[in-house]
Amino acid sequence: MATPAEQLPPGWAAEWLTWNATETATGRTQWEPPAPQGGVAPYADNAPTGSPPPAHHHAKRRQYAAGQTQAYYGGGGEAILDPGYLAGQADSTWGSAALYAWQTHAAPGVAQPQYYAPTTEPEYINQPGYGQQQPATYGQPVDNLANQFGGMGIAGQKGFQLYTTNLLTSPPDPRDLQIPPPEIRLPPNSCISPSPTANSDPSYQRCTLNAIPTASSLLGKAKIPLALILTPYRSLKEGDEPVPVITDTVIARCRRCRTYINPYVQFIDGGNRWRCCMCNMTNEVPQLFDWDQVRNQPGDRWARAELNHSVVEFVAPTEYMVRPPQPAVYIFLIDVSNTAVQSGMVATATRTIKENLDRIPDEDGRTKVAIICFDTSLYFFSLPQGTTEASMLVVSDIDDVFLPKPNDLLVNLAEARESMENLLDKIGNMFQENSIIGSALGPALQAGFKLMSPIGGKIMVLSSSLPSAGAGGLLQAAVPFYKTFAIECSRAQVSVDMFLFSSAYQDVATLACLPHYTSGQTYYYPAFNAGRAEDAIKFAHEFGEVLAMPIMLEAVMRVRASRGLRMSSFHGNFFVRSTDLLAMPAVPLDQSYAIEIQIEETINTPFVVFQTAVLHTTCYGERRIRVVTMALPTTSSLSEVFASADQVAIATFFANKAVERSLTHKLEDARDLVQKSLIDILIAYKTSMTSGGAGASAQLAISENLKMLPVLTLGLLKNVGVRQSTQIPPDLRAYAQALLTSLPSQLLIPYLYPTFYSLHNMPPEAGEIGEHGVILPPPLPLTSERLERHGLYLIEDGQTMFLWVGRDAVPQLVADVFDLPSYDALRGGKTTLRKIREMRRGPYYPHLYIVKEDGEPPLRLWALSALIQDRADVLPSYQQFISTLKEKVSST
Amino acid sequence: MGAGWLFLFAVLYSAGLLFGMVFFVIMFSDLESDYINPIDLCNKLNQFVLPEYGAHAFLALLFLLWGQWTAFLWNVPLLAYNGNKVFNKNHMYDATEIFRTLPSHQKETYFKLAFYLLSFFYYLYRMIVALVAENA
Repeated sequence: MATPAEQLPPGWAAEWLTWNATETATGRTQWEPPAPQGGVAPYADNAPTGSPPPAHHHAKRRQYAAGQTQAYYGGGGEAILDPGYLAGQADSTWGSAALYAWQTHAAPGVAQPQYYAPTTEPEYINQPGYGQQQPATYGQPVDNLANQFGGMGIAGQKGFQLYTTNLLTSPPDPRDLQIPPPEIRLPPNSCISPSPTANSDPSYQRCTLNAIPTASSLLGKAKIPLALILTPYRSLKEGDEPVPVITDTVIARCRRCRTYINPYVQFIDGGNRWRCCMCNMTNEVPQLFDWDQVRNQPGDRWARAELNHSVVEFVAPTEYMVRPPQPAVYIFLIDVSNTAVQSGMVATATRTIKENLDRIPDEDGRTKVAIICFDTSLYFFSLPQGTTEASMLVVSDIDDVFLPKPNDLLVNLAEARESMENLLDKIGNMFQENSIIGSALGPALQAGFKLMSPIGGKIMVLSSSLPSAGAGGLLQAAVPFYKTFAIECSRAQVSVDMFLFSSAYQDVATLACLPHYTSGQTYYYPAFNAGRAEDAIKFAHEFGEVLAMPIMLEAVMRVRASRGLRMSSFHGNFFVRSTDLLAMPAVPLDQSYAIEIQIEETINTPFVVFQTAVLHTTCYGERRIRVVTMALPTTSSLSEVFASADQVAIATFFANKAVERSLTHKLEDARDLVQKSLIDILIAYKTSMTSGGAGASAQLAISENLKMLPVLTLGLLKNVGVRQSTQIPPDLRAYAQALLTSLPSQLLIPYLYPTFYSLHNMPPEAGEIGEHGVILPPPLPLTSERLERHGLYLIEDGQTMFLWVGRDAVPQLVADVFDLPSYDALRGGKTTLRKIREMRRGPYYPHLYIVKEDGEPPLRLWALSALIQDRADVLPSYQQFISTLKEKVSST
Repeated sequence: MGAGWLFLFAVLYSAGLLFGMVFFVIMFSDLESDYINPIDLCNKLNQFVLPEYGAHAFLALLFLLWGQWTAFLWNVPLLAYNGNKVFNKNHMYDATEIFRTLPSHQKETYFKLAFYLLSFFYYLYRMIVALVAENA
């Protein structure tokens, strides 16, 4: 797309040059994932001096093969078995062996992306010293190594440095959003593993504060909410390390608090016992813990995955089952009323199901499927074994739903594959002439539920009209059916996914209740029309992804934390079954949950541990426990609390909080709540961290790491789900709210703060495959000041993409991108371009809209509403927002 | 019939309501310590919500019919509170929200407990006063 410079109008090149010059000043290459200061170089420097290498290295997503790990520990077996082994004695031998090991595999890591500066925490050299006292205070200089690092410009051991920024003078830079959260600096010796994967990656679990205040009064002073944001079942992208699975069913857990053994426990008594990192209980190490059951020989304890990885999966023995692992069950409820058929939804859906039959997880051949169609009656399809012909059974008594046949309705996918394909081919034609209008969604749900309730599984609802007949008819407002039905579903391990297509009002808010409490997801395609290829592709792609998703079945999730911390409230798609147990009948990939944490008593330990355990059945019939452990240091200093705050996690939490508030109160209250929380943080920062103290001051101060929080908050306030406007259809709002509470941070942040690229003047290397995949052009701040008349811009929030074409776009540019002769030939609206790539997690397939600068006003306005730093109607611009904040802060 | 008998009835009646509230309190603390799951809890408690409101309203009605103005006025605030809840349709316990709203439910239950306890002694006092007055 790089247009040769000579073809440009004169002003174009000049603009490019000026832009380029200004950006170079700030380091134009920064839009690549920020390079660590110092990178790997320190190792090279350190190695010859013989000082121990830093053992902990976050986010270097490097595979730790068992062999390597063993080498790394320098055959530590005997040292571990001998309690009297002194750290000092070990130094010489261990040091050299392990150092060597480190060098050998540190080298290939040089080229890898590094998101964190290396820390100087747990040094394996001190490892064998079991009973060693931990340094009482976190943050004291450990050894000269730390100082060395400090001298090299790498963040030293000495706590977090707090850098104050003035929000009035530093406009938000979207590149800052890619900076990883403040590094977790654990006190030395807190982790028994030197592995870089011993603490959880932020994409699995992150906390709004990476240093936990020791007392709730300190937290109260900082005003920053304390919450965990977790996505325990995250998808693995290319290059991600798969979650290690522990197959020998030796599961060491604390007797008292039931914590799973993790890299933060301590081994005592010569390794015969371990001390729980949460409740300090001493536990026996299971007998088979050091036994390699695969090779039937003594194994190396230190190579065990649960002691080296923060995210592991245990294969659960029968004690963890209430029944044998269930097969995956999918029931499709397809709306075949007139509107649904006319929109082409039925045809697209059946075709997509048919095309994706292979992708439905069915490794062990046990997966069961059923199809029920509904308009104002229910149509069941019986697929008896031995024939490929399906017979249709109509039930028109929807007041008292019954199954017309006890068997052959829910069939084994592998066995009935052929008849299923046949049936899917025919459904479209069968209802081609259906003129019935109305939807008995409620009875259809009841029928699906009856069919699968002995097993549990997933109901996928495809509906394109407002439910009108039978139970759950929504012609009158506030029907409790969906909530009570959701509870029944959760009990029977049934999860519901909603795919909604209506062009008229469909009451998404009420229908979304069902996925919300059964850990499903709502997908909404307003005014779906399969006649438009883009609509069909979007739906087919997303539906296909959902079908192919390897879901977790019959899951329960519990988060445990060190003494003094309590999970106080939960946000996300699940049913809270007890004070701290979340029931999730089927966990989809990449769904995010937020949990508020309360500090109940003063914390005396140097670090705290959060452990999420998800007991689930994989869709391949295996009972497993996924355990995500995260350790965070504690702090008693307010400046460290501020310096360790994670703006992305806070914004994610705000989104959840705002939606929760809008459900119980008015939407306005939700906005006020978010804005007030932000102002509280700013006030707290001003009074305690700046010299000004209370009263008016010329600046609006916040720490460097929270710099983007105001603009993210503004993005949230301007998001469709929360925005102040009377023109947003309630269905769109409800859908946006469902997204706000379930998207993982990686997707949510662009949803709040869209990415804005300028495509006509990209740096030359953009678009090429670089070290970290495709090199993207630098994101621009979201303001229309950046729009030039001859430009081409991409605005993207993960759900929609806008390609903005300026009115003076060069013909060559139009020709290159759209294959059209000139700007005038270009038509605005939904289109598909072949050049789109999806890099984010999640099943979403954004629509692409081409927006002409002088095109249709609604589309133009919509695209411009994504530029959240601008003023739009009553919504303030970023400058106005900041000055309102400043006024509020100064007035206290 | 005399006011003495009315208040005797009220004393027994409020004792019954008192026990009802104790039952609610116990159930909530059971939920907190995970002895009962929220679905069962809500199913169980929801059976008693309207009867309790009704019983209280009936008592207030009796006072009104007998012209016991002080006793009636004493009951008016709670009557209005209950009526408002029913009117807004949020009187039932919702299993999906119960953990979020548990503190407020507990507070409400404790408050009602205290109210019925005070009522109990007040009616007892009024009964004695009425009986003494009848005998005198």
